[in-house]
Amino acid sequence: MITPMTTATITPTDTGLLTLAQWLGPGFPIGAFAFSHGLETAIASGWVHDGPSLHSWLGDLLHHGSGRGDAIWVWAAIAATDAGALAQLHALARARMPAAERLREGEMQGAAFARLVRQVWGLDLPDMLLPLAVGRAVALSGLPQDQAVALYLQGFVANLVSAAVRLVPLGQTTGQQVLAALAPTCAQIAAETRGLGPDDIYSNSFLADVAAMRHETQEPRLFQS
Amino acid sequence: MTYEPRQISASAAQPPRAVGHAVLAVKKTEAGSGIDRLRSSGALKLLFPRRQNAVEALLINTAGGVTGGDQLHLQATVGAGANLCLTTQAAERAYRAQADIGRVSSHLQVGPGACLHWLPQELIVFEGAAFHRQLHIDMADDARLLLVEPIIFGRAAMGETLQAAQFFDQISINRAGQPLYHDAIRLSGAIQQQLNHPAVAAGGTAMACVVYVAPDAAARVAQIRAGLPATGGASLLGPDMLVVRLVAPDGFGLRQYLLPLLDQLSGNTLPVSWRL
Repeated sequence: MITPMTTATITPTDTGLLTLAQWLGPGFPIGAFAFSHGLETAIASGWVHDGPSLHSWLGDLLHHGSGRGDAIWVWAAIAATDAGALAQLHALARARMPAAERLREGEMQGAAFARLVRQVWGLDLPDMLLPLAVGRAVALSGLPQDQAVALYLQGFVANLVSAAVRLVPLGQTTGQQVLAALAPTCAQIAAETRGLGPDDIYSNSFLADVAAMRHETQEPRLFQS
Repeated sequence: MTYEPRQISASAAQPPRAVGHAVLAVKKTEAGSGIDRLRSSGALKLLFPRRQNAVEALLINTAGGVTGGDQLHLQATVGAGANLCLTTQAAERAYRAQADIGRVSSHLQVGPGACLHWLPQELIVFEGAAFHRQLHIDMADDARLLLVEPIIFGRAAMGETLQAAQFFDQISINRAGQPLYHDAIRLSGAIQQQLNHPAVAAGGTAMACVVYVAPDAAARVAQIRAGLPATGGASLLGPDMLVVRLVAPDGFGLRQYLLPLLDQLSGNTLPVSWRL
């Protein structure tokens, strides 16, 4: 006997959220695994050596460094109304880069992201630094914005946790504990940065910048940044 | 954990506020570089030590430091082919602010073929300071630049660490109208506690950034890197732009690395005031 369906209790999963999970998850082939954002140097220098020091490092990037800055670039690209405004954002975002490898990290991932989104989703998305490319793609597709910025930040720290698990090395469980502990921060920073623009960007993470600079000459190294 | 300077009502007694304004222009002359225009008022004064091949201008804040409500503004123009070195007579002090924010802004223009050395000595941020600073530089396409901004958080010699202060700093360098290097810092509240974090300063109390824009930047980077400690880094952000970020335990430790670096990048023309 067929049980009558209680349609009222069935909520179809938002496919927009699934698209964001695909774009910003670790399986999206933009080459994120090749970049450590200077973390490889921080680990080699002993500045990051366990779960708590990794949590501190990533928390500072999210609250006062490149994580917060990237969230603002995503929001700014979402708000950009035309190609001219986007080009101006791109010039400003490039000028904010503290080290050559950080620039390369943003450019290469952004170009890979834009190419995939053009080819698979048919969006008219120019090559830009990653947070700008993500923000523009979100705007063009009408995807949920708060979730996009929060997932962007989680993808950013998840990639660095994965790098630390291999480099320190840390246990997988420790890595996931750090990532879980940072989830509320990702959501908080995504919400706090809504409506902000390039003039609101700052970075207090001086040694994270130094680590990104020193990585350029680090030997041996596994990562490109 | 944010810190806001105390607001006082308009009826309360207002302490006297220091206001200073200076405008300087230098131009290329037959002998090298010379002063084209100079106007200064209030607490901002300029002295010009004798120097060959460049105008050296020594900025003096006659108020002895910056406190809440003070406003200092400098505007300088380096004409085509001219050379200007701007420095300070001593370290600048961001004093405890009773109320309101102390503001310092500088707007510098560097013309075609011109060269600017922006070499102020350290800014010392005192406990209780509320200090906002802005530096904007507009460069011509082929202009050259050497910039340093050394900052010391708290008076370490007096055992002072920053528990409640606010320090906002913004640097924007544009070239031919396009953004070239932009950076901003916003520290607020228990600043030393934030400096103790590994991604910030690992307990350090002194920091400097250096920007060098010149055709030989790429050729300089290896030598500059070799002179840096583990808490300092250098990167070539463009074929002709070198950026250095340096963190040190204290002001003495900062100078130990900064002086040789600035000697190299300035071609041994670091102003005498840096040695006094």
